Amino acid sequence: MSDDRITKYAEAVLAVALAESDGAEVEDELFRFARALEGSEDLRLTLSDSKIPVARRQQIVEDLIGEQATPATTAVISMIVAAGRGGDIHRIADEVVALGAASRAKAVAEVYSVIELTEDQQTRLAASLHSATGKEVEIKVIIDESVMGGLLVQIEDEVIDGTVRTRLKQLREAF
Amino acid sequence: MKKRIFLASILGALLLTFGMAGTASASGESLEECLLGEWLEEKGYLGGDHGDGHGDDHSGDHDALHDEELLKEIEQKCIEAPNPIMPETNEIIWGGGAFLVLLGLMMWKGFPAVKRIMNQRSEKIASDLDQADQAKSDAQAVKAQYEAELADAKSEASRIIEEARQQADGLRSDLQARAESDIAEMRTQAAADLEAARDRAMSDLQAEVADIVVGAAERVVEANLDAEAQAQLIENYINQVGSN
Repeated sequence: MSDDRITKYAEAVLAVALAESDGAEVEDELFRFARALEGSEDLRLTLSDSKIPVARRQQIVEDLIGEQATPATTAVISMIVAAGRGGDIHRIADEVVALGAASRAKAVAEVYSVIELTEDQQTRLAASLHSATGKEVEIKVIIDESVMGGLLVQIEDEVIDGTVRTRLKQLREAF
Repeated sequence: MKKRIFLASILGALLLTFGMAGTASASGESLEECLLGEWLEEKGYLGGDHGDGHGDDHSGDHDALHDEELLKEIEQKCIEAPNPIMPETNEIIWGGGAFLVLLGLMMWKGFPAVKRIMNQRSEKIASDLDQADQAKSDAQAVKAQYEAELADAKSEASRIIEEARQQADGLRSDLQARAESDIAEMRTQAAADLEAARDRAMSDLQAEVADIVVGAAERVVEANLDAEAQAQLIENYINQVGSN
């Protein structure tokens, strides 16, 4: 799908999110769902399979999310799947997060970690990143056990890698 | 020329034939004067002029044969016949004329023809001799040329042999030099291969050691990265980023 169409979908999702709440919660839930979808190839193919009836695919979405997300988030994801854009959910989610952060004059900081960060850690991390980059950021935590430990932060094109995985890789290359 | 000679020969033969025939006829007439009939007729033993009036020739011949006087006279007359060696006058005239005619013809046509033939023969012989000399000269020239070419061939053969020998020497030297170069290159290559193999072995060993060390480190890290350690790593990251 073209970037323009992705942007249109993202703007529509963001409008729904703002209509239902302040938008940040829907953004965050959509972002998490997109990340979870990236880790499951079968689920992504199922939601993008046009041979499966739309109602069936929407039912799958509702069964997966259940009570873990707001009804607005479930409705938005169901709408995307019904529109036959299930394979582009992760791109739409990234665009929604970026547009939301931009509307708040902030940049998105994708934080890869083995464990979930506390609110305090996220606040201090955002402050540290602001101090390092000069940008106001919104923290989006992505659970990724491959980093083994520590954090990897990506703000737009900038990457700040402090993971154990990278340290071990550097150790291997030092031999 | 040959045609004229042929015609002259035919003419001469004809003259000789008729001339000799004339001579023989004259001689025959001379002999008849010594024949018995003429004497018998002259003495009245032949024909009707005999004194006895008999007309029988046989009886006349018989009488003549028995007439000794007559026989003597016949014998004398016949002995005094024309000389068989000395021809008669008309024979000499005919023979001399024929001879002169023949001599004239020979001097007029025969001798010049014979002389011309002889001259032509001499010229032909001279020409043949010249041609023989020329052929001999040519043969000698060819022989000289052949000998020169043979000498050149021998010289060329010697040169080719010498050149081949030099080429063989050069080739042998080149092959030897190439073999030595190949050997040196092989030695260098073998040394390089050995060095590369050693480096590769060292690299593999280092990689293996690195795998072992890093694997051990990973296992240690995984074993020690509990929630507290993870939280500590996150805190360290936040502090490190904020301090930059």
